Amino acid sequence: MISSNQLRFSYSAQKRFSFPNIHCNDKETLLILGQSGKGKTTLLHLLALLLTPESGDVVIAGKSVKNLTPQEITATRAKNIGIIYQRPHFVSSLSVMDNILLSNYLANQKEDRQKARHLAEQLGFADHLSKKTNQLSQGEQQRVSIARSLMNNPNIILADEPTSNLDDDNCQRVIHLLKNQSAQIGASLVVVTHDQRLKDEFSNQVFL
Amino acid sequence: MNLFKISIANLKEKKLNSFLSALLLTLGIGMISLLLLLNKQLDEQFKRNLKGIDMVVGAKGSPLQVILSSIYQIDAPTGNIPLAEVNALRKNPFVKTVIPLSMGDNYQGFRILGTTPKYIEHFNAKLAEGHLYNASMEVTIGSKVARDSKLKIGDQFSGSHGLDSEGEKHEDKKYKVVGIFQPSGTVVDQLIVTRLSSVWDIHEHSEGAQAPAVAELEHTDSQAHADPEPDEEGKDVTSALIQFRNPMGLMTIPRQINDNTSMQAALPSIEINRLFSLLGVGIETLRTLALIIISIAGVSVFISLYNSLKDRKYEMALMLSMGATRTRLFLMLLIEGVSLAVIGFFAGVIAGRVGLWVFSKSAEQDFHYSLGKFALLPEEIYLFFGALVIGVVAAALPSLGIYRLNISRTLAEE
Repeated sequence: MISSNQLRFSYSAQKRFSFPNIHCNDKETLLILGQSGKGKTTLLHLLALLLTPESGDVVIAGKSVKNLTPQEITATRAKNIGIIYQRPHFVSSLSVMDNILLSNYLANQKEDRQKARHLAEQLGFADHLSKKTNQLSQGEQQRVSIARSLMNNPNIILADEPTSNLDDDNCQRVIHLLKNQSAQIGASLVVVTHDQRLKDEFSNQVFL
Repeated sequence: MNLFKISIANLKEKKLNSFLSALLLTLGIGMISLLLLLNKQLDEQFKRNLKGIDMVVGAKGSPLQVILSSIYQIDAPTGNIPLAEVNALRKNPFVKTVIPLSMGDNYQGFRILGTTPKYIEHFNAKLAEGHLYNASMEVTIGSKVARDSKLKIGDQFSGSHGLDSEGEKHEDKKYKVVGIFQPSGTVVDQLIVTRLSSVWDIHEHSEGAQAPAVAELEHTDSQAHADPEPDEEGKDVTSALIQFRNPMGLMTIPRQINDNTSMQAALPSIEINRLFSLLGVGIETLRTLALIIISIAGVSVFISLYNSLKDRKYEMALMLSMGATRTRLFLMLLIEGVSLAVIGFFAGVIAGRVGLWVFSKSAEQDFHYSLGKFALLPEEIYLFFGALVIGVVAAALPSLGIYRLNISRTLAEE
């Protein structure tokens, strides 16, 4: 479960954002639509606790993150939030398998190879586990980053423009995988995008 | 998964950069390691052969040459001195031992040295086979001579005139091998030792009917050892090694000899120090060069990490967003620098040994000295910590940027 309350953020005096409140329960999905420059990524970073808001609050799994120390914030994020970025990025020197396991390792969880292999099969890149990530296509890379975000069974999955670089087929495939996987682990799925193709896929929508 | 694994994967990802950094370190460490090894072994070799010899007398000329030719057998002698004058030194109360040496011939580049049994006593050379030379033209050979020339007991050979193997051969008179010394690590290993009279016999004979009036010594008697103190009028030797009874000798005798005789006195301790200070300039230069190369290696590690960090900024932000602490990532980068330092150190130490081996091969060929000790030196352990410090510092400086990285901005920028 994730919700926000009166979030405000400013990069400078001219560039201020104030965001509508959002709320997404476990097993629910939420689409946040907005044009470029409306602060989509800023909102996602605020929800992902990568940025600290000027005012307002974020509640993760029923707990407010206000007054948490930076270490606690890092730990909360690692444990509860799986993030999928617009462009899939990886540690380029590691294999696909190791990149997925990295999320276990960095969150101080036990490395679950079984689960990584299982996810790879479900997401359709089981043949590529020992390759380097830059040998994969964009669509495959995006599916690997979905697997990576699921490894710690997060409470919330945040996706930033997960489909904007994909063709229609891959777009459909990725969004269905995201919805299925988050439903399987009972997480809230929040997708931030300007991609109009996703409009019909989500019943809960917020416009920036 | 652990930090070490990620670090090594990162190094492998940038193979050429890592290779260059490690290569520079290898070169620098290798040079220093080789210098340390050479310094130690030359020092040992020089000291071992020097032990107990307080003074060398020889013909006038370079004192260093007298020392090098008489003690280490690596330079040409300065000339001859009358045996009578050498023997006169025995009467001096400060003098304990006088060991006359006579050289001038060789066999396959190994020097044939005429001397008294005191010489063998002095170097504490033990027989491995056979017995000590007893009569004129009998020789006992050092272990390295036996190994390289394949001479065995009972073999006969003729020496060549001069100190290199191309000299004219004394075909008419042949030496006979009667014994072989055990390896002792001293100059005796590379010598063919015989009586003083053998050297005289050969040269008198080949020079024709000169001075046959001087009676040859009787060697055919049943003495166990060669005649201990030959004293013959009109005979020359090349030089003599002198031991003093007490340090007072050092104060007076060299002056007396230089002022009152046709000989000169050379003091090994002074001459060897002089030699080392001459060599020292070269060694100092090489050491400076090696230190410069090591510093460049440090700069190379720095630049390569700095550049790769710029490329990997997003990776770092990503790992931070996935729960990594900044200190953990900083450590990961330090491990990259330290791994390069460790690889460079071990490769360098091995390279130093290979260098020593090559050097030893050529030294053995030219001077019959071998420098075959490859154990790790205590100084090299300091060198190891030095390399570690360079690795840590060169990695830490660019990696401190990790603590200033703005996660959100980096992830948004891509």
